[in-house]
Amino acid sequence: MLLIYAPTNQEFKIVKILADEKLKKHLEDLGILPNGTISLLSVNGGNAICLVKNVRLALDKITASKILVA
Amino acid sequence: MKTFALLGNPNCGKTTLYNSLTGSTAHVGNWPGVTVEKRTGVYKKGSEQVEIIDLPGIYSLSPYTSEEVVSRNYILDEHPDCVINIIDATNLERNLYLTTQALEIDVPMIIALNMMDEVKKRGQNIDSKKLEKELGVPVVEISALKEEGIDLLMSRAIEVSNKKRDGKTVIKNNDLLHLIGDIKIAYKGMNVVNPLFHAIKLIEKDEIEVEMHASLLPMVNEFEKTFNDEMFGNDFEALIADARYNYISESFKDVVANSSNQKSSDEKLTKSDKIDKVLTNKWAGIPIFLAILFVIFHLVFSENLFFLGRLFENVTPSFAGTAYEGLIWSETGIASPGVFLQSLVTNTTDLLSDLVAEGLSNAPNWIQGFVVDGALGGLFAVASFIPQILLLFLFFAILEDSGYMARVAFILDRIFRKFGLSGRAFMPMIMGFGCSVPAMINTRTLASEQEKDATIKVIPFFSCGAKLPILTAIAGAIVEFFNVGNADLITYSMYILGMVTAIVTVIIMRNTTKRGKVSPFIMELPSYHLPQFKSLMIHLWDKLKHFIKKAFTIILASTIVIWFLSSFKWNFSMCSELYDGSGEFVGYNISESILHSIGSFIQPIFTPLGFGSQLGKYGWVFVVAAITGLIAKENVIATFGVLAASLIASGALSGNPGAIIGDESGISSTISMIQATGITVPGLLAFIAFNMTTIPCFAAVATAKSESIKGQFKWTLLFWIVTSLIVSSLVYVICTWWWTMFIAIFVAFIVGFVIYKYNKSHPANNELA
Repeated sequence: MLLIYAPTNQEFKIVKILADEKLKKHLEDLGILPNGTISLLSVNGGNAICLVKNVRLALDKITASKILVA
Repeated sequence: MKTFALLGNPNCGKTTLYNSLTGSTAHVGNWPGVTVEKRTGVYKKGSEQVEIIDLPGIYSLSPYTSEEVVSRNYILDEHPDCVINIIDATNLERNLYLTTQALEIDVPMIIALNMMDEVKKRGQNIDSKKLEKELGVPVVEISALKEEGIDLLMSRAIEVSNKKRDGKTVIKNNDLLHLIGDIKIAYKGMNVVNPLFHAIKLIEKDEIEVEMHASLLPMVNEFEKTFNDEMFGNDFEALIADARYNYISESFKDVVANSSNQKSSDEKLTKSDKIDKVLTNKWAGIPIFLAILFVIFHLVFSENLFFLGRLFENVTPSFAGTAYEGLIWSETGIASPGVFLQSLVTNTTDLLSDLVAEGLSNAPNWIQGFVVDGALGGLFAVASFIPQILLLFLFFAILEDSGYMARVAFILDRIFRKFGLSGRAFMPMIMGFGCSVPAMINTRTLASEQEKDATIKVIPFFSCGAKLPILTAIAGAIVEFFNVGNADLITYSMYILGMVTAIVTVIIMRNTTKRGKVSPFIMELPSYHLPQFKSLMIHLWDKLKHFIKKAFTIILASTIVIWFLSSFKWNFSMCSELYDGSGEFVGYNISESILHSIGSFIQPIFTPLGFGSQLGKYGWVFVVAAITGLIAKENVIATFGVLAASLIASGALSGNPGAIIGDESGISSTISMIQATGITVPGLLAFIAFNMTTIPCFAAVATAKSESIKGQFKWTLLFWIVTSLIVSSLVYVICTWWWTMFIAIFVAFIVGFVIYKYNKSHPANNELA
């Protein structure tokens, strides 16, 4: 499912990142990569705050919906 | 001299370490992306002097935004003698990711394990010896903030820098290692420095690397075809990123020991999260931010703190009858901390300039004119605003240091996106309230060129510290002379006018000349922490130095030039001397001066703005003041002071020129100018609006030029001129004849409709970019 629809405060496994090359690379450098884990802390009108590798990351709606989790 | 470079993730404390190593006062803030330029200083406390280079923070040596390129290029091209990799010990996993990349470069390296005090406070411990053994480079525990472990770090760094180190990789995948080996050999054959690093970047298909060494790319592509990982297929960049993170989590899982209470780190997390629940709430977030802003402005500018003025109507002012009358409270109410500090400085400089004027009473006429009108008037004008400016900066620094600013960027992203900007643009904009120069440089953190350019153009509309005197002097004069309104309300609404102008022009630009997609918003949210007293003071001290330097150089020079131009004729002889009834010298006849003829010549242009031809004989003074503002905005009020004194001397007004020079807040000089010209309140408001939105000072213009894409700068200048003329004409016309508002709304509606229709039929060609 899309990250923004995931229940909050639960750990999920990242399945796929649908972003273009440059953005995908940047997300991977930040630890958002397939097989890694992510948890959603809060959603603010689609913009998301999530926890990746023990760090809080803020993502806008479009970027957050490019991350598929399971 | 040896050169050591500081490399690390954003917000891991590089600049704090840099400041303690070199004794500098560079700007530190608790949000990612404060440093966007490399910075150089010297460490002098060790066995030998070392040059220290502070670099912008990066998450990876594959840069995402333009300021990150600086860091990568420095490490690779400038060959520092040692790289000091700073690691935020509270978050090893993320920080070591960059370390695994830096290890691949053939450069001596040392790791500074920063924020160890914080780790210990959380009841954890990190086995730095184990870390050192695993990574193969020295690891030193430090606290940059408390300056602990810094000398040990430097002495070990100097040791390390004497030995060569070959790059090594943590990637364990045999197939990949094979390919890396092949490309490395090819690079060695091509005499490429750092072959291992470049080989891996090529396999990652790193943008810069592919451009540099396209000739070897077929080798990677060939290999890609035969490769198939079960998880990542042949997506090498994801595979390599995964390999790095795997290495980190496997090798270092027992480096971090939770000694006493396992829970404390989780608690810390939830504490920040709890605050975030409120501050980044969908509904409450923005109102909270606006309320905080209002309180800040109220504390800095209000003469009626907490609106308790009613209670003071019949009260005698504090210190009545002394030079410090009304310092703490007056008939209008209790003074806010900002107003209190300002009166304190003003009243003191008042006493000083009286003394100087008295001491010079026997000096030749031109010396009196030069010292009292020319030099002191300008200097004191700037000095009196320093307390308020510093207080405003202090409040912003507190917000920044606590970690709140990064949240504001996040909550504003949703709205900014509607205007066509990413929430990231909030950072340079809020910096603009301090000074446009660093604000414009900070736009480098924006990922899209179109957004960057639009942001640079509107940064001056976020009224900077130097424009503040214009606001408070004129607002004060309006209240005092016309007896209307409320000074801090006028100030606050002019700030809002600037912000609204910024929003409207951004919307227009992003729908016409600067169309394109809004770049993604990705920002690490730092943990909240209490602002550090020391770093706040460093910040303020830095600002104070900046203003004092400016006052004694550019502003002093300009006021002298203004005095010269207003006291001399075209043939460089002095204007005729004027005497009062008792034969006492009062000044020079400004109507004969060079400035008078220049000013009168351009004056008509400003008629639609309310400070042009309708002001008659002396109306040009406003024009001249606005023009001197192009050099430095503080000049506007400094010029008011010089010109008001000359006006009185010229007999345009009755009054005592000495009193004008004594009044540093600029309110009485503004009142004299109002009396001499008969300018209306709308005209004065338009004058503020014009100064706020027109071409900024020299320094900002130069910065805009160097930060702009080639060929864009001339449009930026034109944009500023046109915007300021439109905005201030609107202010003047609408405030004078309120019904014209409907015409303006109607025109705006038509323009908006036409742009909308046009964009619908002509979609932007870079929509996919």
